[in-house]
Amino acid sequence: MSEPSIFFNEVNERQGVFHRRAFVMGALTSVGLLALGGRLAQLQLVEANRYKMLAASNQFNFRLVPPPRGRILDRNGVEIATNRPNFRLLLLKDEVQDPNVTLDLVSEVVPITPDKRRQIMRQLAETQRFVPVAVVDDLSWDEFARVNVRAAELPGLQPDMGEARVYPFGGAFAHVVGYVSRVSDSDIEKAGDNPDPLLLNPGFRIGKSGVEKALDLELRGKSGGQKVEVDAKGRVIREDPAGNIAPTPGKDVVLTLDSDIQNLALEKFGENSGAAVMMDCRTGDILCMLSAPSFDANAFVRGVVPSEYRALSEYDHKPLLDKSLAGLYHPGSTFKTMVSLAALESGVDPKRTYTCNGSFAFGNHVFHCDKHHGTLDMHGAIVTSCDVFFFQTALVVGPDKIAEVARRFGLGQTFDIGVSGQRVGIVPDIAWKQAYMSARHADPRWYAGETPSMGIGQGYTEVNPLQLCVMASRLANAKKALNPRLIHSIGGVEQPPGSAVEDLPFNPDHIQFVREAMASVANDARGTAFAAAQLGLGPIKMAGKTGTAQTHNYVAGSHGEHGAEGQWILRDNAWFIAFAPYDDPRYAVAVLVEHGGMGGLAAAPIAREIMRVALLKDPQVRARIEQPLPMPAMDPAAMSGDVAPPPPTDLPGAPRTGPTGQQLQNPLADPTT
Amino acid sequence: MTSSALTRPGQRDRVPVKFGEIDWTLSALICLIAAAGGLMLYSIAGGSWKPWAGSQMLLFGLCFLLMMALALINLRVWFALAYPVYGIALVLLVLVMVVGHSALGAARWLQIGHLKFQPSEVMKMGLVMALARFYHGLPADRARLSWWLLIPLAMIGAPVLLIAKQPDLGTAILLASTGLAMMMLAGLSWRLILGAVAAAAIAAPGLIWAILHGHLVKGYQAQRLLTFLHPEDDPSGAGYHILQAKIALGSGGFLGKGYGLGSQSQLDFLPEKQTDFIFATLAEEFGFVGCASVLLLYAAVIVICLRVASISHSHFGRLAAAGVTATFALYILINGAMVMGLAPVVGVPMPLLSKAGTVMTTVMIGFGLIQAVRVHRYEEVTSGSGAFM
Repeated sequence: MSEPSIFFNEVNERQGVFHRRAFVMGALTSVGLLALGGRLAQLQLVEANRYKMLAASNQFNFRLVPPPRGRILDRNGVEIATNRPNFRLLLLKDEVQDPNVTLDLVSEVVPITPDKRRQIMRQLAETQRFVPVAVVDDLSWDEFARVNVRAAELPGLQPDMGEARVYPFGGAFAHVVGYVSRVSDSDIEKAGDNPDPLLLNPGFRIGKSGVEKALDLELRGKSGGQKVEVDAKGRVIREDPAGNIAPTPGKDVVLTLDSDIQNLALEKFGENSGAAVMMDCRTGDILCMLSAPSFDANAFVRGVVPSEYRALSEYDHKPLLDKSLAGLYHPGSTFKTMVSLAALESGVDPKRTYTCNGSFAFGNHVFHCDKHHGTLDMHGAIVTSCDVFFFQTALVVGPDKIAEVARRFGLGQTFDIGVSGQRVGIVPDIAWKQAYMSARHADPRWYAGETPSMGIGQGYTEVNPLQLCVMASRLANAKKALNPRLIHSIGGVEQPPGSAVEDLPFNPDHIQFVREAMASVANDARGTAFAAAQLGLGPIKMAGKTGTAQTHNYVAGSHGEHGAEGQWILRDNAWFIAFAPYDDPRYAVAVLVEHGGMGGLAAAPIAREIMRVALLKDPQVRARIEQPLPMPAMDPAAMSGDVAPPPPTDLPGAPRTGPTGQQLQNPLADPTT
Repeated sequence: MTSSALTRPGQRDRVPVKFGEIDWTLSALICLIAAAGGLMLYSIAGGSWKPWAGSQMLLFGLCFLLMMALALINLRVWFALAYPVYGIALVLLVLVMVVGHSALGAARWLQIGHLKFQPSEVMKMGLVMALARFYHGLPADRARLSWWLLIPLAMIGAPVLLIAKQPDLGTAILLASTGLAMMMLAGLSWRLILGAVAAAAIAAPGLIWAILHGHLVKGYQAQRLLTFLHPEDDPSGAGYHILQAKIALGSGGFLGKGYGLGSQSQLDFLPEKQTDFIFATLAEEFGFVGCASVLLLYAAVIVICLRVASISHSHFGRLAAAGVTATFALYILINGAMVMGLAPVVGVPMPLLSKAGTVMTTVMIGFGLIQAVRVHRYEEVTSGSGAFM
């Protein structure tokens, strides 16, 4: 028989009450359980996907995979900045048991200095959990292999293959290309509210100067992600390669520079301080932009030692300064080209002469010339670089006209070449002095006595070597106001060339006059650059202008102290601007030798060498230079009329195209083949 | 009339007879639930008997035998022990306030030699037994509405306040709810009940406001309430438990992720996974199906226990059994609500599933009492008139 069931038997009142109340309790409990069941259904059936996603984001993380940095190449594809594998050892703070013991073991394979050990211990204390600390960088393959063998017995030690930036030509491109180095706090601040997580990754290097800095974002690329499964403490449990996101490599940047020319330029400077800038005067491409002396950019990638840095920054030749862009100097006699052109444009007769007796008195001041030149016209004055002639010419023309011409040739301007750091310099005129001096509560009036110094490129006038090269290339081109171009292409996309510009608004005959005078400077026996400017390339001739710019006031009559014998810092700056070939200009160069003395003696030889290399690299110029081979015996029957038979083409080294580009034929070749 | 041996004269006190009267269905269900707990503990430990599954199963085995033994103890003995147990528990609670072993800033444990136990657990049994005994002697009309009701209120209030001061809010709420449930089962006037519910509903917002503004309860408990209301505000701090439990639970879906494959638990994202939040682990690995099954098992246990209570001939037996059942049901409901984000985290484990030795022991002793009520259902407990007898 069955047990009595829960019916409302009123055997006694309390039992009846209890039955009812127990029923209520049962019902309430059921309601509660159903509510729980309903909530379960809501979370597990209705909102399941949301929680599955949250579970996955708990569970999966993406480890940053840094992208390979784009390379920087010269115009011929030679690598100027590239990457190499960097074998290094990382220490994982929370897995290593005793850092000192681990470091001892590591130093059996790779030595660790006490300084470095201190630095590692400090970094271990400072970094967050699960962020690895680099112990040693730049292991050789052999050392790397040896450590890998022992890595199993060293918990927390992780061998890693990263990428390091390397500059094959450490010195020559250090200023223009710049270098990469560790990310600093100010870099992160500048990145704004949402900095690229790559910046926070230890070991990541950011561009600090030059092209590396200016095009840092394009060179950087986009990081990828390695999918890993982590536990609640962030420890990696396993990797999930199927979910990896590949990094986007940085774009390669091609510059217009030529590494052969740039390297040679640095070599030719030797121990001297200065700059050399060379441009193509048909397109405006910058072929060389060098500042000497230089430094090894690779040291900055590693992290330069404070004593090294101090040595560099205290050296009076200022290796860290990019003189080609940021160095401002008086142009000296090179400015006479501008003064001449301004005079011609003002209607001054080039045949007009002045007599130079070594000095020129104006007001109560006597201006000096370095020689007694005698009576000269404008051509002769440029060729011999006579100051007295230009003192007086400048007074006739006036500062405003000179400044207008100078500005049209690029002086006092900055150019959009894609890197920062250009200093604009000064091209003074009456309005400029008014504004400049008033702001400084000084006398704003232009005194006539200030004009003569402007006429010889001293006074307030200041230029940088790039501006002077632009001036030279515009003179060489004679038609277009060329703009310089440094960056040829980014990621294959070509940047606009420098030749798409307006014309120079001057009388072409006047410009030609100046150019002829410049040709005489180099090739006329009287010319200040005659000795140094002979290219030795046969029919190819160079045209130029020397400049010797005072840096400190001469004590009366003691010019000698500022020449090559005196104290270095007091010596004159030596300039030489040039272009070649004169009859078909291709390249223009400006060379500065700081405290080098006379322009013709110090700067012109360097400019000549640079120009030679540039010309010899040009196949069309080479064709003109190379001597034709001796004529073979002729068949009289092959001679036709009064036209000389063309040279043979089947002999080795014989040119195949003539100077005007026409195909040459071999008269002895069988005409039927 | 039944054909049970208990009804034949002279058979009622024979041990083999009594043994046969133990509810084997109930015992089987209890074993099933405990086994599920062991299964989860095995999985949570990463597939190992240590450190939780092994000791829990061992303890369960011992407690199961204890339950059997207690089932054989006559209800009259239980009746006689009711007030003494309550009294001792009360004294122990006072003692713990004075000299208690403080762990995590809460004085809850007492240590005698090697034995460490929580007096509040003793009180859970003590209160149920004492209230059952009190109402056993109280006529129905007095149980409905009279000044006599102040006594059970005091009997409930005293330990609840002592426990709340420990501070152990979860257990205090549990105990208070059990006590009130027993008062309802004993026949408290419906008007009084509904009136009290209405009053509580009106007072609740004010109460919550007071708690949130730092009155009435300690700082961290107020913080718990705040975190419960807005867990997203502090996902890595106080809201962590709640969010992680919901994630673990929800991501289980319908069928779960599979035994041993619960990523949130295996990877340590879910804290307290072997104690208070074990149900979330179950949910993650076995999904809705698993959870619903366990809830059904619990429901079955509760229904059977209420039936056992209903068929007892003594009021003491009925109320004691129902009281234990109420405690059991409250464990389930409070822990379930906690794990599913319906209630603030108050530290109440899931009975028989969670790794909680003291709670398991108490629960099994409670089941021992229920089994005893069933075995001795025809027993006439001394039912004197008036209270205290």
